[in-house]
Amino acid sequence: QSTITWRMQTYAGPALAEHVIKPAIDMFNKIAGDRMQIELYFADQLVPTGELFRAMQRGTIDAVQSDDDSMASPTDVTVFGGYFPFASRYSLDVPVLFNQYGLNEIWDEEYSKVGVKHISAGAWDPCHFATKEPINSLADLQGKRVFTFPTAGRFMSQFGVVPVTIPWEDVEVAMQTGELDGIAWSGITEDYTVGWADVTNYFLTNNISGAWAGSFFANMDRWNELPEDLQTLFRVCCDQSHYYRQWWYWGGEASLRVDGSKLELTTIPDEEWAQVEAKAMEFWDEIATESEVKARVVEIIKKYNADMLKAGRPYRYS
Amino acid sequence: MPRLIRAYVRFVDGMNRLIGRCAMYGIFVLVGVLLWSSVSKTFFTPSMWTLETAQFVMVAYYILGGPYSIQMGSNVRMDLFYGGWTPVQKAWVDGFTAFFLLFYLGVLLYGGLGSFAYSLGYFGSEPVTFFKDLILAFVTGGPAGAGEQLGYLERSSTAWRPFLWPIKLMLTFGVFLMMLQIVAEFFRDIGRIRGVEL
Amino acid sequence: MSHELIALTMFSGMMLMLFTGQRVFGAIGFVGALAGLMLWGTGGVDVPFSAAMKLMKWYPMLTLPMFIFMGYVLSESRIADDLYKMFHVWMGPVRGGLAIGTIGLMVLISAMNGLSVAGMAIGATIALPELLKRNYDKIMVTGVIQAGSSLGILVPPSVVLVLYAMIARQPVGQLWLAGVVPGLLMATLFIIYIYIRCRLNPALGPALPKAERNVPLAEKLRLLRAGLLPLIIFATMMVPFVKGWTSLVESSAIGAMAAFVAAILKGRMTKEVFENSVRKTLGISCMFMFIILAALGFGAIFDGLGAVQAIENLFTEQMHLSPWAILILMQLSFILMGTFLDDTAMLVIVAPLYVPLVGELGFDLIWYGVLYTITTQIAYMTPPFGYNLFLMRAMAPPEIGLRDIYRSIVPFVLLMVLALSLVMIFPQIAMWLPGIVYGN
Ligand code: NA
Ligand code: NA
Repeated sequence: QSTITWRMQTYAGPALAEHVIKPAIDMFNKIAGDRMQIELYFADQLVPTGELFRAMQRGTIDAVQSDDDSMASPTDVTVFGGYFPFASRYSLDVPVLFNQYGLNEIWDEEYSKVGVKHISAGAWDPCHFATKEPINSLADLQGKRVFTFPTAGRFMSQFGVVPVTIPWEDVEVAMQTGELDGIAWSGITEDYTVGWADVTNYFLTNNISGAWAGSFFANMDRWNELPEDLQTLFRVCCDQSHYYRQWWYWGGEASLRVDGSKLELTTIPDEEWAQVEAKAMEFWDEIATESEVKARVVEIIKKYNADMLKAGRPYRYS
Repeated sequence: MPRLIRAYVRFVDGMNRLIGRCAMYGIFVLVGVLLWSSVSKTFFTPSMWTLETAQFVMVAYYILGGPYSIQMGSNVRMDLFYGGWTPVQKAWVDGFTAFFLLFYLGVLLYGGLGSFAYSLGYFGSEPVTFFKDLILAFVTGGPAGAGEQLGYLERSSTAWRPFLWPIKLMLTFGVFLMMLQIVAEFFRDIGRIRGVEL
Repeated sequence: MSHELIALTMFSGMMLMLFTGQRVFGAIGFVGALAGLMLWGTGGVDVPFSAAMKLMKWYPMLTLPMFIFMGYVLSESRIADDLYKMFHVWMGPVRGGLAIGTIGLMVLISAMNGLSVAGMAIGATIALPELLKRNYDKIMVTGVIQAGSSLGILVPPSVVLVLYAMIARQPVGQLWLAGVVPGLLMATLFIIYIYIRCRLNPALGPALPKAERNVPLAEKLRLLRAGLLPLIIFATMMVPFVKGWTSLVESSAIGAMAAFVAAILKGRMTKEVFENSVRKTLGISCMFMFIILAALGFGAIFDGLGAVQAIENLFTEQMHLSPWAILILMQLSFILMGTFLDDTAMLVIVAPLYVPLVGELGFDLIWYGVLYTITTQIAYMTPPFGYNLFLMRAMAPPEIGLRDIYRSIVPFVLLMVLALSLVMIFPQIAMWLPGIVYGN
């Protein structure tokens, strides 16, 4: 019997993929051996990120690691991928929302409709601004050209941010060639890992979301062709990848804020930042009016955050 | 050469020349967008649409100008051997290699149709059938009938979120024009072999 | 099929296609598309088109028509004529002085366009006839013009370095600055060579006769002003860019407009000049875009079929070479391939294989960009495939035959190899200027 081979493309470039995906795929390949091998490709390597969803649905690529938002999935849940403003505060919020509050079922339903298997969602890092000029107040955001996610960009544009979307791998250079003034794409760990800390000077400690939500997907036919044990192995390796990211980002965020030497920290006072949070609640309601599915997701996110508030410390401190 | 072929070559040459010459001035549109981008950045709030608009203009510029550039003979060839051949020898070889080029353009066209169909919300793998149905629906049911065939319209994954079907339509159309031009070049080569200048 | 066999088949298939004289983009595109259809599996047929979307998102490509337009405005409007006269008058009295002046002219032209086309056109139409009229050796001057115009891709702005920057993900500003000193170094080597040869054999480049040298000082000084124009255009574009006021693509538009406005102010922008520059810009831009489109599709299929890994394995694991040996081997293979393969296609197909490897071996990718560009310059001039050769053949006056053109490049190619070695041994030649400006 010949080896099953899959092509998988991640949204991440090689430096970041070294942490967020490669260990899990190496593990998969080692265990599956001659039965199955996954070839990992990085951001834009085989197809541009904008075409990623289509390529997977069509079978040009067998599996994908990305958030729904940046690969522009044609589903109603797309806006909630990546950074849906203030939906979560900690990286553990994401798996709880998916596994215990019913998002998994909604995602599965929505992706099945468009011929793609949603395998598993996990959390990444919080969304902070890294910029050339210091950000000490909302006014400092005015007119800044910032690389960010489509939905986060749509939300932040009301504060004068000009969202720019370019291929992920071009961000560092675009900072240097003046196409960008800043990046609102990640936490500080990623800024250091992918080299963005070398081209920016300041890091804003306020975030617009506590954790990125991203997923593993596969072409529906390819997934169904896999024997059950390989499906299970794939799921286990996805979970391993989620787990690795939980501690890698959580620890990294803290230690680089404390010991990192490349970025100076700035903060917008809580009272001022509360305006952004208030606008996020309006943004949620606005999104909820767009469709019935979106309304369901927004309701779940609201319920979850209310529960966390009621639960009190250590879930929420205010 | 048959009248029909002469007419085809004349028509395709004329059409592609006209389209190409319009695309040619696109460079000033591109300059305009980029200059506006630097002006707005310096004096007002930078615009969200400039970079992406410039990219769209660039696509129109080269894909619609492509067939005209073939007419101008701008496309380089490795002429280690080719350079030494007589016009008739060149015409013979070009007559054959035209099919390789058409194959490539055909693959581009098929991929383009698939991507264009996807941008109109078709998720299957038979784009040609989709367009057949779409056209049929338009003929029988008018715009409303065609509208029912459409699904989730693809948008660019940027905050500006423009619809992508116009750019994909343009790319596909440009590749199609290129194929028409290569077929015209093929006829020209056949003509040259038979001693007729088309 | 093994990965090695796929790599070999695809490359040799492409070579074969190129030898038929097929349009370059057709040759590359066909092999890529066929491999996609036959070897990829489901959906391989979509990859060549998805390259078009990738190309669209490569925003630095927007600079391509801008820099090409700049070059054509300069050559078509003949605003370089005064520049040529300046060098002519000032350098004329020296033996070989007009040839030396031509190199100076080429350096200034290089600072105003991103390819070598404009330098070639100006050299072949303005400088070459004058040099021949004054009994300069035809083989030497043919080489001077080809070598001089190749500086267009090393001295900023440079389209080749923009393309390299995209593939290697390195900042264009630093790459451009890194090209400045090596470009001037190479121009100096050319000048020294011309000077020495003409001293040894004055018949190669006689000094101007007394009668022609009799130019009043006032006139000489007036001509010196002509040299300001390129500097102004260069500064209009480069200063806001290096200062970070405008982005790369915006600067390229400013540069294109600066050249356009200069031609209007000088009264040279006739209807015909306008038509020619706009039309030729479209022709060349389309050629480049289609080659890159085909090469991106080819590259993605090549990569997705595992051929890239096969080649990297060959270099790193099977051959057991030291980093420097691998680097030198790469440069040699580039020169070898450059003699046969289109230079742009070579960059888009081969650089994605080599660049990550160069990075892993611990070399600086900015420095490597300069090495790469000098290699490309050599490729531009070496038969059978070279843009400068094509252009020279098309533009040279009838008394210069093909054999003269081939012979003329030999000493200059050797000087370029010398410059390449110098930059390899002393990386500071390239890295010093970006280090000063960007402070790293
Ligand atoms: Na240049
Ligand atoms: Na060559």
